[in-house]
Amino acid sequence: MKKVGVIRFPGTNCDRDVFDWVSGHNQKPEFLWHLDQFHSTDYEMIVLPGGFSYGDYLRSGALAARSPVMKSVREFAELGRPVLGICNGFQILCEAELLPGALVKNEHQKFIDEWAGLQIENPHSHFGARYESGNRLRLPIAHGDGRFYAPAKELKKIEDQGLVWLRYQNNPNGSLNNIAGVMNQQKNVVGLMPHPERASHFWMGGIDGKDFL
Amino acid sequence: MMSKEEILNKNLKHYRLSQIEYHKICELLKREPRPIEWPLFSALWSEHCSYKSSRLHLKKFGQTLDETVLNAVGENAGVVDLGRGERIVFKMESHNHPSFIEPFQGAATGVGGILRDIFTMGARPIALANYLCFGELQSNRMKELIQGVVSGISSYGNCVGVPTVTGQTEFSSSYNQNILVNAMAVGLLREGEPVALSQAQGVGNDVVYIGAKTGKDGVHGAAMASASFDESSGQKNKPNVQIGDPYFEKLLIESCLEVIQKNLVVAIQDMGAAGLTSSSFEMSSKGQLGLDLHLDLVPVRDSSLTPEDILLSESQERMLLICEPAKFLEIENIFSKWGLDAVRIGKVRKEKTLRLFWHQEILTELDPDLLVENAPLYDRPFEKWTSPRKVKELSLVQNIQITEWVKNYLGSLVGGSRKPIYRQYDQRVGLRTCRDAGFDVAVLRLPDSGRGLMIATGCRPSIMKIDARLGALDAVFYPALQMAVKGGKAMAITDCLNFASPEKIEIMSEFVASVEAITQASLALKAPVISGNVSFYNETQGQGITSTPATGVVGLCESLENLPMDTFQNADESIFSLRFQTVTTSGKWGELRQENPQYMGEFKIDEAAAFIDEVRKLAKTKNVTSSQTVGQGGLAVALAKMSLQGMGCVIEEKLSPDRLVREYFYEVLFVVKDANEFLKAVPEKMKVHYLGSTCPGVFKLPGEEEISTKELNQIYQNAFQEVFHVP
Amino acid sequence: MARYAIQILPREVILDTQGRAVEQTLKLQNLTVQSCLVGKYIELDLGESGAEGFQKAKSIAEKVLCNPLIERFTVQTLNDEVKL
Repeated sequence: MKKVGVIRFPGTNCDRDVFDWVSGHNQKPEFLWHLDQFHSTDYEMIVLPGGFSYGDYLRSGALAARSPVMKSVREFAELGRPVLGICNGFQILCEAELLPGALVKNEHQKFIDEWAGLQIENPHSHFGARYESGNRLRLPIAHGDGRFYAPAKELKKIEDQGLVWLRYQNNPNGSLNNIAGVMNQQKNVVGLMPHPERASHFWMGGIDGKDFL
Repeated sequence: MMSKEEILNKNLKHYRLSQIEYHKICELLKREPRPIEWPLFSALWSEHCSYKSSRLHLKKFGQTLDETVLNAVGENAGVVDLGRGERIVFKMESHNHPSFIEPFQGAATGVGGILRDIFTMGARPIALANYLCFGELQSNRMKELIQGVVSGISSYGNCVGVPTVTGQTEFSSSYNQNILVNAMAVGLLREGEPVALSQAQGVGNDVVYIGAKTGKDGVHGAAMASASFDESSGQKNKPNVQIGDPYFEKLLIESCLEVIQKNLVVAIQDMGAAGLTSSSFEMSSKGQLGLDLHLDLVPVRDSSLTPEDILLSESQERMLLICEPAKFLEIENIFSKWGLDAVRIGKVRKEKTLRLFWHQEILTELDPDLLVENAPLYDRPFEKWTSPRKVKELSLVQNIQITEWVKNYLGSLVGGSRKPIYRQYDQRVGLRTCRDAGFDVAVLRLPDSGRGLMIATGCRPSIMKIDARLGALDAVFYPALQMAVKGGKAMAITDCLNFASPEKIEIMSEFVASVEAITQASLALKAPVISGNVSFYNETQGQGITSTPATGVVGLCESLENLPMDTFQNADESIFSLRFQTVTTSGKWGELRQENPQYMGEFKIDEAAAFIDEVRKLAKTKNVTSSQTVGQGGLAVALAKMSLQGMGCVIEEKLSPDRLVREYFYEVLFVVKDANEFLKAVPEKMKVHYLGSTCPGVFKLPGEEEISTKELNQIYQNAFQEVFHVP
Repeated sequence: MARYAIQILPREVILDTQGRAVEQTLKLQNLTVQSCLVGKYIELDLGESGAEGFQKAKSIAEKVLCNPLIERFTVQTLNDEVKL
């Protein structure tokens, strides 16, 4: 069985959660430390979990995006292999310019933790593949810097090229065009602010994050 | 040129020691203290570190310990054995004074500190909770304090990756000048994971400094925490505020747990109040072995730090560890991987003295017992509790529009939704949260056994105002009842006893009464008190807080299935009230109406415990869809709170206004599908009454106009508008 | 009319957690620095100018922008050429 790389930066705190979530998919997760490089051929997919890498200091994801492991992640992505960034992982991928746009402070300036209603805009062939365009799902969000932003020209490109993955039904943080998740032009790298791993068992309060990988 | 006496008085004031304490020091040392020894005694003999005014009474908690508590003696907290290899550790601590000065950092470092008490034992922190008391919104700085404290807790807890799953926020004028910020943390030890102890062991072992570099943070912090605010504190008092770094703490958690789980550690202690001083002296005293400490080897943030600064610094995110010399390299590698310093600063010695070195020069050599074991122990004067506000009969509440009152109550800070607060807390990191802060009782799933771990805080200041003993009993019984009503059992207790000055006999009397009450409640419920904290001198210019013995209760429920909900779920279900009534109080209603705080009746401890057992059994039946305890505000408020999510009720039973607002010890509500089946299950001796039935969209009290559940919820959700601008 | 730049940095004795983290990352990239302090930069555009404007900017910094317990600040009058 090929492995699923789960990247860990100092301060990443959803690493164990994602590890268990991946295991629950009958996949084989393996932690990858931020200082190490890896071979693209050893992994089936790469996941960047949520948390507060480097304490979110300077800008969320900014310092992590400049960690040595990102060189390998970039190579993996350039080969067209699947990469998923959740919350802080999404922020890191944007800072590393592997995804378009940027995540900035929530409009109302506060951290927000709640269940968000989402809608699939453009389904992804690998991540959340069971969902079709228009499908609704409920996933928890927990972030202080979750407002998706891109300058007007770039935002139009993102929309026109079908790179919007998910939208919020009730915008919780001021994200432009209610964008909750995007993919890159090659459509192999995706990022979303909500946490699918936090909705993978009934007792968590929802299972829309189950069977996601 | 100052006289010897003037110098002495200056020192006594600066180091906050009394004349009597000074003489005791001279007696113990058989000489006068050397300059470096003043700060040592100042820190370790402060109220905060030595518990000198409370220790005598806290010993009573020892009676509550039973076979489920491991490592009870001498550790930060007892470890509770839940069976099946699962053990938990938890504790609550105050950070009142620092939070009043700088609310964000005060609250943040409070969270950091309590987390360290947990993972220093080898337990992974899995939940945070907090107990907060604020004053009236219009009092000086109060809005800023509330916002700052919530921000601080949020920012620290979220970043460090531990979910904040429950809490309690009280508002009362008695906290106008002294807010309370108590932080609680719960940690989990899974099967096979070792418990880490803190006694120095093994002559020749290395003493290792772990974590952040030492700076001038909070020098004199412990002594500050033990002093009341006076006229000179405030703007002139610009202390070196301790800055917490949750990112660093996260690195510390991972690295400490790694070295503990790899069995590389002989002993470990966090550097909390009085930093290096308290940790080293306590480790030494507990292990009855000596330590050599080379203060010049301590990693410092800037080179201007003196030995005294190093000893007293309260820089955050630091630990002291003892290991076998052969294991040091591996320890250093692990900490280095996580980006943290691990520096050898000393050795364990056979002779039981602490030797402090500064570049090979011995500054002092002291027997640690002099500072720890021989810390002053005061038997402060107190009077036996006489329940001065107990009456034969409470005045009858009449001629009042209850629904209007309920609306006002739910729309106020006292009764309104705390969602604007807990929405700022990550409640789900760790993938264990089943019931978050939106529920009365938080429930986490224990990953190995699948059982539910319940967490709730206790202590109602309005009851404390009525009677300290009653309030303290309630501080344990009420959260236990909240758990029972969901089918859970209270397993163990921690406390954070917040009081004004113990030098005042009325306060000390309330303190002793509270400790005794908590002990009795704990024994009756078979839930041992495994840890605790005392915060005295919560007063400003002689005005003290209401005595507030906060509690944190942890419980267990065997299954996560069919846990009764907090609100009405389905239409046409029957609402029953069960009362075990021995005490009636003027309650929050009385306080808000400025009635004399009073109660009538006698609290029967064993009967209360039996009632809780019966309630638990009933809660577990599948027939029960939702349940509630009737608390602050009485029955009308409880029914209204159950009507906040679209399903309301029509109360048919003719209930008087008095019946609807008085607070009884105790009353619970059960909402059931099949009324007859429920009545059959209720034991004969229990007083059960049918109140009415659930009904979509409306809330109707007997003899009053109905209102919509939508309106109720809107009022409830907007209560904190002025503080948090609910979007 | 005048513009003022307010620079806010942590007080010297206070731990700068952001600075520490940035320092670490720079070190990893072999861009070692002796120290790094992270603060805030605020630009105020006031109707007042001269000594009056400067005083007002200083007052705003003291009363609103800076937390004197943990931060220190400087005020600078900006001339027209300086625009970030």
